[in-house]
Amino acid sequence: MRTELLAVITKELRQTVRDRRMLVMLLLAPVLQLTLLGFAVNLEVDHLPAALVDLDETPTSRAFLQAMVADPTFDVAITTDDPDTPILSGEARVVIVLPRRFEARLKTGRSNEVQVLVDGSNPIEAQAALDATRRFLEQRSVQQMASLAQEMAFRSGRALKRPSVEIKVRTLYNPSLKSAVYMVPGVAAVVLLIVTTVVSAMGIARERELGTIEQLLVTPLRPTVLLLGKMLPFAGIGLITAGMVLGVGTTIFRVPVRGPLSVVFVATVLYLMSTLGVGVFISTVARTQQQAILGGFFFLLPAILLSGFMSPIENMPDWIRVLAAINPVRYYVEILRSSLLKGAGFAELLRPLFALLIFGAGILGLGSLRFQKRIS
Amino acid sequence: MNTGTKTPVIEVRDLTKAFGHFVAVDRVTFEVERGEIFGYLGANGAGKSTTIRILSGLLMPTSGQARVHGIDVADDPERVKRSIGYMSQRFSLYPDLSVTDNLEFFGGAFGMSGRPLSKRIDTLLEQVDLIHARTTRTRDLPGGMRQRLALASALLHSPPLLFLDEPTSGVDPSARRNFWRLIRELSHQGTTIFVTTHYMDEAEYCERIGLMSDGRLVALDTPANLKRTFIPEPIVRVESQATDLDPILQTLRADPSVVNVQTFGPALHVRIEKREPEPTERLRQRLKDAGFKAHLQPIEPTLEDVFLEAVTRK
Repeated sequence: MRTELLAVITKELRQTVRDRRMLVMLLLAPVLQLTLLGFAVNLEVDHLPAALVDLDETPTSRAFLQAMVADPTFDVAITTDDPDTPILSGEARVVIVLPRRFEARLKTGRSNEVQVLVDGSNPIEAQAALDATRRFLEQRSVQQMASLAQEMAFRSGRALKRPSVEIKVRTLYNPSLKSAVYMVPGVAAVVLLIVTTVVSAMGIARERELGTIEQLLVTPLRPTVLLLGKMLPFAGIGLITAGMVLGVGTTIFRVPVRGPLSVVFVATVLYLMSTLGVGVFISTVARTQQQAILGGFFFLLPAILLSGFMSPIENMPDWIRVLAAINPVRYYVEILRSSLLKGAGFAELLRPLFALLIFGAGILGLGSLRFQKRIS
Repeated sequence: MNTGTKTPVIEVRDLTKAFGHFVAVDRVTFEVERGEIFGYLGANGAGKSTTIRILSGLLMPTSGQARVHGIDVADDPERVKRSIGYMSQRFSLYPDLSVTDNLEFFGGAFGMSGRPLSKRIDTLLEQVDLIHARTTRTRDLPGGMRQRLALASALLHSPPLLFLDEPTSGVDPSARRNFWRLIRELSHQGTTIFVTTHYMDEAEYCERIGLMSDGRLVALDTPANLKRTFIPEPIVRVESQATDLDPILQTLRADPSVVNVQTFGPALHVRIEKREPEPTERLRQRLKDAGFKAHLQPIEPTLEDVFLEAVTRK
C-alpha cells in the first residue's frame, strides 16, 4: 500500500517536474499573476484625469485651478470652454465648471453652485471620482470660508472663534485604505484556485486521453491509492505556492500578518481540499483535457465573482447570496482578510473554517466516489 | 500460481458480452494450456479485444464463465490482475517519462520497490534490448522500441500469463519479427501467451489459433490442422499483368475442376478438386488457349485462405 502510493506520488512529481510548462504554471505563474493583479486591481483613485471650465476668469477662479493642479487626486489636463467634449473623448473623467460671478458671489458671502460632471460609464471609478471631487470641494469651501471669516474678523477687529465640532475619522486595520492590502488575499485565493483546480482536473483527464488509464487498470492499484497519490503532490505544490504568494504579498504589497500563521495554514489545507476536490469531480465528467479546462472555467468564473474578492457579497441579490454561501473561495478570502489584516484567530474564524471543511470534505468525497465508479 | 498441471491456464465457457443490443462476444468457448502461444484472429470489431479485456478483469462478462488460473474473473478481478501481464492495443505508457521512470512506476504499482525492482528492470531492459535507451523519454522512442518497452512493462511482476492485444499494429516488419522472437523466447521459458492479431503471417507463429468473426469463434485448432480442414484442395496462385483480372476469373470459374477462385491483392487463388492429377499444367493450358498471359504456381494455403473460408462457411 505504501509502496504503491509512493510510486504514484513519484510518478506525478516526475511528470510535473519534467514538464517545464507545468512547473512554470504551478510555481511561477501564481506569483506573477499576484504581482500583476496586485498592481493592476487598484481601487484607489489617484491622478484622475480632470478638466476645469472656468467661466469666471477672476483671481479667485484661477486660485481654484491652482489648488486643483496641486491636489494629487487630479491630473488637470485642460481648461476648456466646453464641458462635454473632454468626457466624451476620454481625456477627462471629471469636469468641474466654475460659474460666472464665482468670485463676486463669494466676496459678498453668497453661496455658489459648482457643476461637476463625472464619466459614469465605469460606475466604480465614477463613484470614487465623485467622492474625491466632493472631498476636494468641501476642503476648498472650508478654506474659503475660513479665509473669508478671517478677513471679516480682521476688518471688524474681533477675535475669530473656531468651529466647535471637528470630525476625526480613524480607519482601523488598513489605515491608509490601500486597496492592495485588501486585494492581495483575494488575489491569492483566486490564483490558488485556478492552479489547483485546473491542474487536478487535467491530470486525470490526461490519463484517459493518453490511454494510460488502461494500463493503470490492469495493475492491482486501488482507485483510492491512485487518487491520493495524484492529489498529495499537488496539495504540496499548492501549499508551496500559497507560501510564495503570501511572501510576495507581505514584501511587495506590505500586507501585514497580524493573525497566527497556523490559521492561514489550516485554512489553506482545507481550501486545497475543496479546490482539488472540484478538480477531481470535473475530471470524472470530462473525457479530454480540453473538456477539463472548459469545465474548470465553468466553475472558476462564478466562484471568483461570488467570492467577494472584488465586489462585496452584501450588495448582491438574495438568490446570488445563497450561491455565494456555498462558495469555498468566499470563505477562504474571508479568513485570509480577517486573519492577515485584523489578526483574527481560530476562535473568531470558526464559522468560515467549518464551512470550508464541510465543502472540502463533501466535494472530495463526491469526487472520489465518482472517480471510483468511473475507473472500474 | 498454485494450480495443478492439468488445469488449463484459461478456461472460457459460453462467454458472452453485450453492449446494449450489440453482442461483441457471442457464446465463445475455449481453453488455453500452460506455455502455449494462443492466437486470437479476426477482423477489427470481431470481438478480440473485448475477450482480452474480460480475461484481464477490465470488463465484466454479460453471461458465461471465464477462468484465469482457476479464478473466475467475475468473482475476483483483482486477483486475476496480479497474475497476468497485459499489453493494450494502444501504446499506454507515459510519453513524458523516461523508460526507467515508466518501469519504476508500474513496478511500484505492483508493489515492487528497491533493489528487487531495479534488478528486475535491468534484467528486462537487457531482455528487450533497451539498455541503451533507459533515460530516453518514451515519446522519443521509435515504434518498435515502444512496443518492446510496453512488453517489458507487462512483464515486470513476472506474470505466468501474458495478454497481448494487437501488439505489433503500426510497427515495421523487421521490428515485428524481433518482437515475435521475444514472444517465442518467453513461451519457451514457460509463459503462456494469448495474442490477438489481424496479421495472418503472425498467426503462423502461434501454436493454436481461434478464429473470430462477428463475436463468434468460428474455428479453433493448430495452423496446420486449420489449413487441412478448411482447405483440403490444392491451391494455384495465378498472377497476370492484365489490369482487369475479371475475364481470367470468369474463365477459371468455368472450369469444372475449379472449386472456387478468390482475389488476393494482385493475384487470384484457385482451389482445385483433389482428384485432379496435374492441376497447374491443365489450368495454364486452359488460360493460354483462352488467350491470357498469366503466371501460375502451386502454393500452400495461407491462414488468410483459411480465414476467408471460415468466415464464408459460417
